[in-house]
Amino acid sequence: MTTHELEQLLLQQPVSLLHRLARGRISRHFRSGKRKLVDLLLQASSENRPGLESDLTALIEEQPRRHPEAPEKSLPQPTKQRPMTPPTAHRPHKADDHGHHEPPVSLHEWLSGIGVPPPQPFVPDAWQVDALARLAETDVVVSVPTGSGKTYVAIEATARAMRENRTVIYTSPLKALSNTKFTEFSRLFGPEQVGILTGDRRENAQASLLIMTTEILRNLLYDAAGGEIDVRLDQLGLVIMDESQYLADPERGVVWEETLIFCPSQARLLLLSASIGNPQDIADWLTAIRPTPCSLIRHTKRSVPLRAGYLHPNEKLTPLFRTAGIPYGQPHLIHPEAKRLFAEYEDETGPSRSR
Amino acid sequence: MPPSIHPVDLVATLRQKNLTPAIIFLTSRRACDEAMQSFERSQVLLPKSRQEQIARVLTQVITQFPSISEHPLIDTVQRIGVAAHHAGHLPSWKIAVEELMRTGSLDAVFATTTLAAGVDFPARTVVVTQSSIRKARDFTDLTASEIQQLAGRAGRRGKDLVGFAVITPSPYIDLTVLTKGLTGQPEPIHSQFVISYPMVLNLLKAHPREQIQSILAKSFAQFQLNQRTAVLETKLDTLRAEMEPFGPRVCSDWITQWQIFDQARKRKKPRGPAARQESPDVAARLHFLTPGRAVGLARGRGIILRQYRSKGQHAPMVTLLREGGALNECPASIVTQVFDRTYECEETSTYPWITRDSLDQLTHHLKELPPRLPILPILTHPEEDAPLDSSIIHTLGDFPCPSCPSRQACQRDYVRASRIRQEIHRHTKSIQALQTSLWHRFQERIDVLERFGYLDATAKLTADGEWARLIRIDHSLLITELIRAEAFGAIDPSLLAAIMASIAHDDDRPGSFPRGSAGLVTLLFQVRKLAESLLPHEEPPMLRADVAALTERWVADQTLTWIGLARLTTMAEGDMFRLFARTIEFLSQLKTLKGTHPSLAESATQAIAAMRRGVLEELP
Repeated sequence: MTTHELEQLLLQQPVSLLHRLARGRISRHFRSGKRKLVDLLLQASSENRPGLESDLTALIEEQPRRHPEAPEKSLPQPTKQRPMTPPTAHRPHKADDHGHHEPPVSLHEWLSGIGVPPPQPFVPDAWQVDALARLAETDVVVSVPTGSGKTYVAIEATARAMRENRTVIYTSPLKALSNTKFTEFSRLFGPEQVGILTGDRRENAQASLLIMTTEILRNLLYDAAGGEIDVRLDQLGLVIMDESQYLADPERGVVWEETLIFCPSQARLLLLSASIGNPQDIADWLTAIRPTPCSLIRHTKRSVPLRAGYLHPNEKLTPLFRTAGIPYGQPHLIHPEAKRLFAEYEDETGPSRSR
Repeated sequence: MPPSIHPVDLVATLRQKNLTPAIIFLTSRRACDEAMQSFERSQVLLPKSRQEQIARVLTQVITQFPSISEHPLIDTVQRIGVAAHHAGHLPSWKIAVEELMRTGSLDAVFATTTLAAGVDFPARTVVVTQSSIRKARDFTDLTASEIQQLAGRAGRRGKDLVGFAVITPSPYIDLTVLTKGLTGQPEPIHSQFVISYPMVLNLLKAHPREQIQSILAKSFAQFQLNQRTAVLETKLDTLRAEMEPFGPRVCSDWITQWQIFDQARKRKKPRGPAARQESPDVAARLHFLTPGRAVGLARGRGIILRQYRSKGQHAPMVTLLREGGALNECPASIVTQVFDRTYECEETSTYPWITRDSLDQLTHHLKELPPRLPILPILTHPEEDAPLDSSIIHTLGDFPCPSCPSRQACQRDYVRASRIRQEIHRHTKSIQALQTSLWHRFQERIDVLERFGYLDATAKLTADGEWARLIRIDHSLLITELIRAEAFGAIDPSLLAAIMASIAHDDDRPGSFPRGSAGLVTLLFQVRKLAESLLPHEEPPMLRADVAALTERWVADQTLTWIGLARLTTMAEGDMFRLFARTIEFLSQLKTLKGTHPSLAESATQAIAAMRRGVLEELP
């Protein structure tokens, strides 16, 4: 067996087998990725080549059924005894074997595609259209990843309600966000159409689009329940609650609940939330307590795909996962290079880690 | 290797790989500021055209918010195209940075993770340097939702084909937390419903007490409690099915019947080894092992702090203070000699079972213990079993069980049946608790409000309740009680603002501050006393005198400029701004009381007017 043949043979083996082979030959082999492990094994083989080869054959024979050879690597079969298993026969059923068969993504591939998309006319996503259509009939809870374009739905829904001469209330959890939205909406709808009410600011309070913090809306609703009649609430057509995942905020979450419980029934609700685990619960809850049913618009796909990388303190950049995109549900598919570098980092920063 | 990448190198690498603009999340404000400082020394400059672009955007923002025209960071930002964005900055500065990011003029922004939700601008790349976040005083791992919220800023719609989340390690980072967070499902959210005093008052204003329960039932809290109830109900159904074969027998409640019989029977002739008996000499010594007693041990000597029985075996145990100061929980048998010496100590109900002072004294005594001590002679006598209560033996005759035809079956099934019955009982109880817990909490609040006189005995609002319901902020009980105690009668606006600031401020960041006036110190002392007296009903606010004094200065001295004020303290401008904004919020609640408390409302109005100047006036 030439060194090249040996290398090819080693590369075809699953990592677990390589680790068994490395036992006693290489110290701390669990820290290295496959490529690195093969290199180390080849280096180590100079000491006792026949020993390594016979161990390798033995190991391969021991687990013929588990051997997942990739079809495209049809190399001359070095060991005649080993049954050539059809590559389609046994895709390992456990997902966690998956990553070891396809070579990890290279930095070049990972970085490819950076850039600015060509300018296109704006076409709303299917979910945005869907959300707006449903809002005509029902309350709507939207739970989509950050940056998917929730604001578009808010703006479009507001425009529709205002065309029907209905008041719109837009709440956000933070004063800073309220201010940003106030500026943005004033630009869109005209400054005379937009008002803002926060704990320390009050402008154009009779406008048909009112931006406020959730606490202020809660107080308005309490005042109305207590008998102080507020015209704005009678004509209220739409309540948009941005960042509604604040429902789970330990200190302020209760305000969202109060607001939703007392929200006038003639007003439509549009809840915009970042991705949360149980948006269906929120929709079910609102359906249970309000006269109109509540639909859920949920999707997890980001409109701009995300890739994850690892940057070592020595400025070396590698992909974080074996795949270019993020392998959802498979956190263990870490890129061997990132794994190795991080292990090195942990070794060097050593005891400071044991916090 | 350095523990983490140098900010200048980090930005250089990102630039080189075409990964800018980037948001770099760092652990603290200080880390952000230090990162900025490290750029001041660096030689990397932006090309002229980029510098001009930044200047253009900044000029625009400055016309809107003149206060930032002299911001010390403007120069650095323009030169190197990097900025910091955190809660220590003035909102106007943050708006400027956001605007710069939105126009794509910057290459990188250093931000704190704590305010990820407030960062409302995207970038091509997000850099994460940590896997935990400081919450209250502890570090907790970032949740999947939080990590995705951070990473979600990467990739601008319409401006990027791909977004990048780059992890660069710093000490204490845990890579698995981040990889799991990136690939995992965001966590489900849970209701955080709390029943506050203003909520109770406002609900009772609009609805009679009988309707409240149905309103509480509409909460998300109850919705989620019902989900848990549903799980219990299914369990209960299975248990009821399992209980079927153990229905009524000769007597309808045979389980209870058998239980009593069984107990009585066991009392009569104890089977097997009963509770393990301690050896006679340990038992005899036990009476002397009282707190404060000096004892000799197999090795060394010690002082008893407490005597108790272990949970499982009921073995006699003692808590010991040993020589060298160690506190041990050990079996009483460890004591070999009981000395004729005890020390005074004050017992408490929690570890270390005596007061701190006593512990210190005992440690001292133990150190000074003379080498020889008189040993108490203790007589041991083998204990005899306590005589069985004869009444029980008598009643045995009354039981039908011994002669009952179903005795065999009862005996066989009893263990299983009684276990199932217990489970059913437990689940039924839990379901009841889940269904009524909100109402109970509400009722507790009603009781307190009734005691303080905001509600009458029929849970209707009293005259005080009518105005108190308008105070809908944290620490509402303290504020309404202060008003009722007339602490604010004809108060100076600066004092009122100062007190409100100390109630509103909930940050414990230390710093140096100006001193308050004598009037403020006295008033604050009274407020603190009242807050302490309300302790069982409402968590007291921090009531920091320093932030109160700062607010007092700002209101009292109208010639003081924002910069001048900032020089008086080490508090960050952003924190000062937030403090004042929140104080204004609290004051505007007092303003709503003009019907019942005109002079207070007037004072609040004046205070607000006095506070709104300079930066606070210009800001959105």
